[in-house]
Amino acid sequence: MAETLLWVLPLVPTVTALAMLTTGDRRILSAIDVGSSAVLVALTLLLAREVEAGGPRSLGVFRVDDLGLVFLLLLVVLTLAVSIYTVGWLRQAVAVGNMKAESLRSYFALVHAFVATMVVTVLADNLGVLWIAMEGTTITSAVLVGYHGHRHGLEAAWKYIIVTTIGISFGLFGTVLVYAAAADVMGGAGTMSWSAIMEVAPTLDPGIVRIGFIFVMIGYGTKAGLAPMHLWLPDAHSQAPTPVSALLSGVLIKCALLAIIRFQTIAAAACGPAFAEEVLLVFGLISVVVATPFILAQRDLKRLLGYHSVEHVGIVALGLGFGGAVGTYGALLHVVNHGVTKALAFFAAGTAIARYGSRDMRAIRGLFAVAPIGATFLMLAALSLAGVPPFSIFVSELLVLRGGIGHAHWVAIAIFLVMVVVIFAGLLHHAGAMAFGEPAAAAGREPEAWSPLLAMMLLAAIMVLLGLTIPASVDGLLRRATEVVIG
Amino acid sequence: MSAESVYTIVDDLGALLLFTMILILAAGQIYRAIYAVAAQSLLIAIAGGVLATATGNVDLWVIAGVTLGVKAMVLPWVLLWVVRRMNVRREVEPVIPVAATLTLAVMVVVMSFHVSASLGSVRHAITGNALPVGIALTLLGVLVMATRKTALHQMVGLFASENGIFFTAMAVTQGMPLIIEIGVILDVILAVLVMAIMVLRVRSTVDADIASLDRLRG
Amino acid sequence: MMTGESPLGLVLLEMALLVLLGPLVTGIIQKLKARLQCRQGAGVLQPYRDLAKLFRKGTVQADTASGFFWWIPVLVLAATVAAGALVPVVRAGPSAFPLGDALMLLGLLALARFLTAVGALDAGGAFGGMGASREMTIAPLVEPVLMMVVFSTAVAAGTTELGALAAQRGTSWILDWHAADFLGFAAMLVLLPSETGRIPVDNPDTHLELTMLHEGMLLEHSGPGLGCMALASHTRQIVTLGLVSALFFPVAADGADATGLLLGAGAFAAKILVLATYLALVESSYAKLRLFRVPQYLAIGFVCALTALALRIL
Repeated sequence: MAETLLWVLPLVPTVTALAMLTTGDRRILSAIDVGSSAVLVALTLLLAREVEAGGPRSLGVFRVDDLGLVFLLLLVVLTLAVSIYTVGWLRQAVAVGNMKAESLRSYFALVHAFVATMVVTVLADNLGVLWIAMEGTTITSAVLVGYHGHRHGLEAAWKYIIVTTIGISFGLFGTVLVYAAAADVMGGAGTMSWSAIMEVAPTLDPGIVRIGFIFVMIGYGTKAGLAPMHLWLPDAHSQAPTPVSALLSGVLIKCALLAIIRFQTIAAAACGPAFAEEVLLVFGLISVVVATPFILAQRDLKRLLGYHSVEHVGIVALGLGFGGAVGTYGALLHVVNHGVTKALAFFAAGTAIARYGSRDMRAIRGLFAVAPIGATFLMLAALSLAGVPPFSIFVSELLVLRGGIGHAHWVAIAIFLVMVVVIFAGLLHHAGAMAFGEPAAAAGREPEAWSPLLAMMLLAAIMVLLGLTIPASVDGLLRRATEVVIG
Repeated sequence: MSAESVYTIVDDLGALLLFTMILILAAGQIYRAIYAVAAQSLLIAIAGGVLATATGNVDLWVIAGVTLGVKAMVLPWVLLWVVRRMNVRREVEPVIPVAATLTLAVMVVVMSFHVSASLGSVRHAITGNALPVGIALTLLGVLVMATRKTALHQMVGLFASENGIFFTAMAVTQGMPLIIEIGVILDVILAVLVMAIMVLRVRSTVDADIASLDRLRG
Repeated sequence: MMTGESPLGLVLLEMALLVLLGPLVTGIIQKLKARLQCRQGAGVLQPYRDLAKLFRKGTVQADTASGFFWWIPVLVLAATVAAGALVPVVRAGPSAFPLGDALMLLGLLALARFLTAVGALDAGGAFGGMGASREMTIAPLVEPVLMMVVFSTAVAAGTTELGALAAQRGTSWILDWHAADFLGFAAMLVLLPSETGRIPVDNPDTHLELTMLHEGMLLEHSGPGLGCMALASHTRQIVTLGLVSALFFPVAADGADATGLLLGAGAFAAKILVLATYLALVESSYAKLRLFRVPQYLAIGFVCALTALALRIL
């Protein structure tokens, strides 16, 4: 049963993508969209139950374990939310002229192709297939980033595709090196299967694996948005259409993190955990420190959210770098929390931007007066992103912090705390200025569309739930995933 | 053929690959860079053929053939087609002077040889000097991309980097699984096509080179 | 070709041979260029006739030139011919007495270059000054590269003596080349037009004031003096070609005395011919580079040589 699901899961979005090409009617396309995402969620929940009962399953190049499940659940939930959001967003975008009615089918097809490649990335056991799928995500999402067709979008799309392609080529090089180390030990033809490599990992030559891991870190780290390779991220995430931004920031960079985690486990087994943790720590700190001033000085709302993603990917890397059960658990929880919250933030930002017709935060004023529910969600998202309790990000940041204290990384913790406080202040200032006050004259006064609100409510509910308490099944899943990482 | 002679041939091909890389770095006109990268891919295909005869791995023959057809012929042809469509200016000034670029290149080459020399056991995992040459080519490809402002030069740098990775991958004893290499090549083709379309689209709407757009800042 | 030590007589014979054949090589290159440009061109022996003409003429010397100026052509020719003695033509093996190694050869060629420049400056003319300064801009880029190439081949042989290097090259060819040799050979190919004063670095056929490098330095000389300088540049060319073939091309098979000598001479002629054809092709295919682009062009050779050396050592 579970094995069948393994190849059905990537197939669903692929078939949907092809089905999207058949019709041009917006309503039908949206219906297929939401329906397919719902099916995906249902199948994933089924798979989760199977894995919870019987342990990891594999089929050919695919394999699902608890670690992959965490990312997979995030992916499908966000896909569903995005699909619901797109219903209302698209109506408004077509009316305004941002999206052309004739090209809708290719848009939907690309989105689902994008989702399909991400599913393969998460489910891949074979490291080569992982790479191929990752490049596939780059190609599909690059077209989506430039979808609006104007100059800034194309500039962002070009930077995105060039920088991430060269970046994941580095990742391919690292993969080749790890493969060479494995082939050396196993004799004869080596294997690219992660599970098989993990079995012989302690005997791998540490020198080759070290260099391989560094290449992987730089390579997949580029895709994840770690500084100093993050320069493409604010451009791409801000210029893309809002639903695509939500997927990019919410899921795609997490998939790249999953690739890094897979290699981290190999490196930890081959060279000892200290080396990989140090590398992750360095990149995490650089990301956190580099992103902060740009967040404070930002004018463009979506660009601010992009830099914020860099920050939080840095926090996940810090959590992994602190290591141990607490740090890793916190990092994985943060992956989920940040994904959900960032998508919510993008949704709220997207509706606000559509209402005011500008991405400049100084132009968005008095949102509460014209769109109270949307403004509420925006404030909620901003509070959560800033790390305010009782929202989910506070919990995971706290866990990462505890992980650091447990391993006595005082300098890193100090820097981390300072940056978090600074961002807290900055975000609250920006969000408050946008939500309160007199509405600007350019504000649209039409009533709020229901579907974006529904999507936002869904995500907000998850966000609050995970902030208040972590349900037992989720907790168990995260604990088992942590065990996979720590070994 | 004996293991020794395979090492020697791989070493020789590695030196020739470095030479083509130097030509790409020093190339003033985009045509020269494209021809150099096509020659580089040809050398990679030859390396694949040599390694295929040495290890008896049939997959390597297929990879060598595909590399020859795709990376040495089709992709450079696509690039040349884009160049012709774009009516690009001949001379391209790099961001830093050519002399500085070449100095950095030498440092990169020396560093990669130094790094691989410190890995003792690598010689029987990866034949010959494929690892240091592979690292050098990958990093030098990035150097090309970083020091050039035109989209086509950046794509040439991307090809060169991928060549470096392929060279190392082929020289891993027994080679990489065929399906992976084919998948990688397919991905590269798709990426190049998307990039070519982007370049032409920007050229036609904005009449500027896509890589020199720099409105998004801060 | 003989391996093993060579007597003084043979060395002097080789030196004379090089000097005598130098103009012939130039004539062959000129003829090839002419044919590639679809013209008949002058005969292959034309340089000899030019030299004979020059030696018959009288000397005209500038008033501003010092007494040293008369000595310059003689010294330049002497240095270049002495360099020629160091090149193994038919022999492959060290000479019987301490003669000098590749570094000595490069030093002698550098000395010749320096003396030419001094002579050009001595006469005080504008063209001489310009030509000298341009030539000296290029020299610091060329000479270290030549030395690096020599070193990269010498590392394996353990000596810089040219005869020993040639012997070490052995009787087989491409498959015996070390990886670094490819890069070293590429560097030499890049440098050859510079050492021999040909396109794309310098145009030997021009006398336009803004495009002369080597020719600019010769303008003040006349008569036998100019003849000596011309002979020196022919000899310099064949010496450089001989250096390249000694470092990179194989010697012919071992043989007994007379036939071995003839075989060696024939092989040498073949190698020189190949390189001469290369020079002619390059001259016909490219345009002369602007002066400030020449360092960029030479930098390619520099990087190749440095990488070759790095590949040898690491």
